[in-house]
Amino acid sequence: MMLHLMSRSFMLIAVGKIGLLCAPAPIFAQERDCTVPERFYISEPQLTKTPKAIVRGQEVVIVVLGGASTLGIAAGKPDLAWPERFGAALAEKFPSGRVKVVNLAVARQTARRAAERLEREIIPMKPNLVIWETGTMEAVRGTDIDEFRETLRAGIEELRSAGIETVWMNMQFSRDSEAVIHFEPYLAAMSQLADASDVPLFRRHGMMRHWAESGFLDLRVTDTDQRRRVAAKLYDCIGRAMADFVMRGMPALNPPPVKAGSAR
Amino acid sequence: MLRARQHDPDRIERRDAPAIPLIPVDKSDSEEITAAPSSQSIAQRDLRLDFFRGLALFCMFIDHMPDNILARFTIQSAMFADAAEVFIFISGYTAGMVYGRAMERQGFLLSAVRVYHRVWQLYVAHVFLFMMFMATVGFTAGALNNPIYAEEFGAANFLNEPGLAVVKALMLQFQPAFMDILPLYIVLLAVLPFVLTGFISRPWVVIFASIALWLAVQFDKRIALSAYPGPDHVWFFNPFAWQCLFFLGGWLGWRGNRGGVSWLKHRWFFYLAAVVGLAGFVIRFSWTLHDFYDPLPVPVSMEFLWPLLSKGDLGFLRFANVLAVALLVSRLIHPQAQFFATRGARPFLICGRNSLHIFCLAILLSVLAHLVLNEFFGGTLMQIVVSAAGIAIMISVAGLMEWFAAVQRASGSAALRAPAIGGGMQR
Repeated sequence: MMLHLMSRSFMLIAVGKIGLLCAPAPIFAQERDCTVPERFYISEPQLTKTPKAIVRGQEVVIVVLGGASTLGIAAGKPDLAWPERFGAALAEKFPSGRVKVVNLAVARQTARRAAERLEREIIPMKPNLVIWETGTMEAVRGTDIDEFRETLRAGIEELRSAGIETVWMNMQFSRDSEAVIHFEPYLAAMSQLADASDVPLFRRHGMMRHWAESGFLDLRVTDTDQRRRVAAKLYDCIGRAMADFVMRGMPALNPPPVKAGSAR
Repeated sequence: MLRARQHDPDRIERRDAPAIPLIPVDKSDSEEITAAPSSQSIAQRDLRLDFFRGLALFCMFIDHMPDNILARFTIQSAMFADAAEVFIFISGYTAGMVYGRAMERQGFLLSAVRVYHRVWQLYVAHVFLFMMFMATVGFTAGALNNPIYAEEFGAANFLNEPGLAVVKALMLQFQPAFMDILPLYIVLLAVLPFVLTGFISRPWVVIFASIALWLAVQFDKRIALSAYPGPDHVWFFNPFAWQCLFFLGGWLGWRGNRGGVSWLKHRWFFYLAAVVGLAGFVIRFSWTLHDFYDPLPVPVSMEFLWPLLSKGDLGFLRFANVLAVALLVSRLIHPQAQFFATRGARPFLICGRNSLHIFCLAILLSVLAHLVLNEFFGGTLMQIVVSAAGIAIMISVAGLMEWFAAVQRASGSAALRAPAIGGGMQR
């Protein structure tokens, strides 16, 4: 409960043209390792309007909805959360872009609650893109799957009719809880809905599993400092992968130095 | 998949009608608790029930594994329904057949006691599975201590109040991963004696009420049983919807004792079932292919059919599809088809015959498979290895039970048989 209240008060709004943040060097030195296999992207539809607006240097607002893992408390500092790292990665790749990433995540928020915020809170902000991280609370609490899918479907229609593009992000992967918390039906529901309604799905669950499997991320470290470092590394990788995911099909104006050999 | 010996429905009808009723089995299904089968009844046994229940159990295990490539080849990839529908339908059918006969021969009280004996066995199995679930919860401790997950998984009520979770599990209200189908089976079986009484006196009233209740659920989602944690949680398998499949199966099983339902043998039913089954296959299989290779088009979008595909509420298409396939199987495959005597069919038959034990084992193996796959990873190859190993274990255990039962039968000693029956062996 205590943690719950704390995280609510952490609800941060990261505003501003995030330039080159001074990222702690040791964490991000291995960035080349957090490549994502093409299979996670290949069949997802590409965004049309937002990447073009970024390339053209228009002002772009990206709103992020989600839960505790999007707030990024586990990394220790708000600017290490993945939406902030995503903004930084965008700025690095497209220095002329004017992107404002607004993190509106609330810990333990259900999809239904998040959907209720769309009309009165999100749409009036006139974002170009909403990145909606969801599904965790539903899987943890065993919400009715049809209801979950219907909530997401109604949400996407609302955003579409307001002319806002959407990216969904699914749950985190954990090595220890998959046998107890039944994620698969919810992952499948999101995947099917994304496919049917042509919404790009950022497959965080699969990516985290891939990073854990390749030994790149040790999700089982026990030391407090190490845990924080792993969280920061994870969020940075997700932020970078998201920047690639959103900007697919757009040539980077200023290619990053690590280009060859990297699948990004 | 199966070798159908006859393709002309009318010919089958003519040949089957006098000699072999729709379901000619005398006794000794796995529902049978009190009597060991005689060798004669084994020969007459409807092997389709065993075979398809065994198939459903294998599919259930494969479908339950995380992101399993083989899950794209189970029955759910070729029809709207999946292993759950097949399992519940066949369970209803066998229950109607066995207890329906008992009801007519032994009266309400004695047969009701037999049903409740079975309910008790299922309940014990449910509690056993819950113990296994609580044991695996220990593994989540690592994730709960890790701040990457602590906040998210900490929202799982059962981790914060395990005492209450145990009570709710005993009351069948707490149904964590994989523990949702046994509670359904338990309540359906608990109502069965009363439904069977209804079948004997006023079958059409009971069937009409059952269908009406299913229909009501389709239109009003509030008709549901509440579950833990509240307040808006409901049973995953809505018993008010699923009762219809179970009791329709039960009715067919009960009627099967006296030669089956004659008007169902009309050729138009066969054509209708063939159309439904074929349409279900074409549409569902196109989704499967689309899943493999995204650019492949689908004739009917999944989104369009979603309202009719609810699993928890047994959506119309799932219901219709499983009934159609059941009718096709009953017409195209002989109860003692030669295929069932082959070596390839035997693993299915023995698992289906010992369904309760193998079902529990499959659930347990699903949980273990999750743990193994997240411990060692290993990609597609590992998924196939783990699936094969799990199925091999299921077959071995079923084989062991068959062997044990056969040894007991052979010894013919009542003294030997008695303790095993009392201990929960079904035959």
